[in-house]
Amino acid sequence: MNSFALLFLVLGLGLIGWLTARARAGRLIRVSATRSHSRPGQHATYVALWTALPALLFLTAWSAISPSLVREAVLETPAASTLPQFGFQRDSILGEARRLANNPDAGAFNEEARVLAPAYGKAQTRYSWIGTALTVLLAFAGFAYAYSRVSPVFRARTRVERTVMLVLLIASLIAILTTLGIFVSLLIESARFFSVVPITDFLFGTHWSPQVISSTDPGKSLGAVPLFWGTFFIGAVIAMIVAIPFGLMSAIYLTQYAAPRVRKWMKPILEILAGVPTVVYGYFAALTVAPAIRDFAVMLGFEYASSESALAAGLVMGVMIIPFVSSMADDSIAAVPTSMRDGSLAMGATTSETIRRVLLPASLPGVVAGILLAVSRAIGETMIVVMAASGAATITLNPFESATTVTKQIVDLLTGEAEFDSPKTLAAFALGLTLFVITFLLNIVALRVVKKYREAYE
Amino acid sequence: MNNPPAPDAGAPRRPTDWRGTAMQRRIRRRYAAERRFRLIGLGAVVLSAGFLAFLLITMLSNGIAGFTRTEVTLPIDFRAAQLDVTPQQLESRGADLALAGAGLEELVERSATAAFGAHGPDVISPHAWTGVRDALKDDPSLLNRKAAISVPVSQDLKSALDGAGKPEMQAIAAKLKQHDMIGSSFDFGFLMSADSTDPTDVGIWGAVKGSLFTMLVTLAIAFPIGVLSAVYLEEYARKNRWTDLIEVSINNLAAVPSIIFGLLGLAVFLSFMNLPRSASLVGGLTLALMIMPVIVIASRNAIKAVPPSIRDAALGVGASKVQVIFHHVLPLALPGILTGTIIGMARALGETAPLLMIGMRAFIAQPPEGLTDPATVLPVQIFLWSDQISRGFVERTSAAIIVLLLFLLAMNALAIYLRNRFETRW
Repeated sequence: MNSFALLFLVLGLGLIGWLTARARAGRLIRVSATRSHSRPGQHATYVALWTALPALLFLTAWSAISPSLVREAVLETPAASTLPQFGFQRDSILGEARRLANNPDAGAFNEEARVLAPAYGKAQTRYSWIGTALTVLLAFAGFAYAYSRVSPVFRARTRVERTVMLVLLIASLIAILTTLGIFVSLLIESARFFSVVPITDFLFGTHWSPQVISSTDPGKSLGAVPLFWGTFFIGAVIAMIVAIPFGLMSAIYLTQYAAPRVRKWMKPILEILAGVPTVVYGYFAALTVAPAIRDFAVMLGFEYASSESALAAGLVMGVMIIPFVSSMADDSIAAVPTSMRDGSLAMGATTSETIRRVLLPASLPGVVAGILLAVSRAIGETMIVVMAASGAATITLNPFESATTVTKQIVDLLTGEAEFDSPKTLAAFALGLTLFVITFLLNIVALRVVKKYREAYE
Repeated sequence: MNNPPAPDAGAPRRPTDWRGTAMQRRIRRRYAAERRFRLIGLGAVVLSAGFLAFLLITMLSNGIAGFTRTEVTLPIDFRAAQLDVTPQQLESRGADLALAGAGLEELVERSATAAFGAHGPDVISPHAWTGVRDALKDDPSLLNRKAAISVPVSQDLKSALDGAGKPEMQAIAAKLKQHDMIGSSFDFGFLMSADSTDPTDVGIWGAVKGSLFTMLVTLAIAFPIGVLSAVYLEEYARKNRWTDLIEVSINNLAAVPSIIFGLLGLAVFLSFMNLPRSASLVGGLTLALMIMPVIVIASRNAIKAVPPSIRDAALGVGASKVQVIFHHVLPLALPGILTGTIIGMARALGETAPLLMIGMRAFIAQPPEGLTDPATVLPVQIFLWSDQISRGFVERTSAAIIVLLLFLLAMNALAIYLRNRFETRW
């Protein structure tokens, strides 16, 4: 029986356990002379938990280990003695045998796979029945144990509440686990990369061409400085030149000048800009913006303007970031006490003078933090640069020339045909680690500034 | 603002002459600056909205053509062809098989040559015969007569109709136009078939189905975990270092670039846990980790907004902690939680980069049948088509973008509706 059917079976048994236990608890409580500690529903939940939880835990563990058990069983059959002893060939034959066992119509490259398929099918069926039997047995054992404890004096509520609390705690630990998982997996792969390529070559080398990696000195063509520069140039310079003025000025206009009705309509409209998927922006940048910018550059006299210019990607990215800057600026301007604004206006300053000389300086830390967060989002942005920026790593100040970014290179490195362990794919993890650390620092600094500054006015 | 010169200390201060020309000029200048500033602000808002309008209009104008199918009327003489099938066979379930063996494909090609000259087979789409097959299945009596059937044209003829492409095709296109044999209709195939190498034959159903499976996995994982951890943090957690660590992780995860989640998925789900590549199961797991913080943060805010008096009242009449939370707090916080979940799901639906990392970028011509089948999703399909050079794919890509934007619009509208309809302000 496959694990989905088994899952529903266990959940069904849990439900049946709940219903029967509830009926029994209700009856017992009605006839008993003493006051019951827990309500029938709580007894029922106790029984349902005992029925389903151990079985589900076992099911999870079983689906993790049973493939290797099946494999061992197949390897012990006489048919497996002809298999190559080690390596890739052996794995691929076993994989094909598994596929053939599940689906007899599937094709196979290796003849040995056909021989092994029946053995595989038999082992799979056997272990699947063992797993099913054990799961059902566990469910019934849990049910019997919990059901026998149902009585008016039994403190089911306390147990249920403790279990619920435990489940909640485990759920909240998943966030830590994810962070840890990101950090550890990036760190492990990067460590393997840095054992091949010296870390100084990677961080300070100025030549990036992963297409040709020499086996004797792989560090020579894996210097990431052009990528760092391209990322900074596109994400932190060009995109911000668009996003900061537009975002800041729209926030100011919408909060200080616009009539409430205009504000009510325009704010969500601007927020749509942040909701458009990045792949759409990327397509727009590659199809419409980049050719227009190339023509413009040629008109200006740049003969060799690239159609994958840094400007096209940066410009569209800037547009995407506008609502982000705008809402951060909105928040920090709103956090300035009204008395400061009123005071300035009462002294005879015009609205724009109040904004420029009172509100903006007072909200500056918040605005700066918002811009830092926007930069962190821009340098982590992937699809726009994958579709609109170039793959050629150059260090240039000319926005009409091509530039590449860290994220673009990660995608290029990992979507090629290379095997998982080559320096090429490992380099992607090193780039990922760099990106993670930089965005992490930017976020921490920005959040700290925002928090400190909020407290200053509260 | 130009500061007036400081009055001399000691000297009696003369009142400012507000009506003097110098002062009037200064006031005019300040008001002009005020107007300028205001205009710049208005300009920023209008331009930003203009960008959005330009983006949407470009996609719409490119994409409308992607939903239509250009057709040509192809006369076929079934009676003369003597196809080796009987009308009874056509009504039975083996119709496809019978027709495939009966040389229908060749018949369609021959008819095209007869109708449009030596380049005839290039005029119609390579998949035109499937259209003829379906027409025959609908009306078996066609077998005994001549019929004119609308079939999709090839990409070559399509570009010739737009005034580009090979000269011989342009000649045919001009002749067909003259005889009024070209028509167009809504392309249901685009909504119902999967990826293909030929732009006249591609469809988005495979990608939509893949997106659906992926979103199901994402929802099934991110929603319970997100809500439960929000409940823990708001209702149970004591303020200590452990709780701080959880909070920092969640806030940080919300700001980690999406591609990093792709790397996590690649390292953990694919190479460590050996889950199948390109499967919607892995895509859903990866996206679930990505949007979980969004759901946690939204749920925490919703739970925080439930006034303490409700908890106190429930506790006061003897409810246990779990009863307070699951019978009172969560139902009241549900609209806010759902709004946050839908917004997170919309973000997951539009996400591309992490899915590229876990191999969901393969060419997949079959809609997935299960969670572990190789699949693709709508944004990745858009990305894959955008790489194709053929003009036909530009229209199809934009059409797919319109479909994706419609889905996102619907989800966001639902979120706004939920918020306005059910959210209580205490």
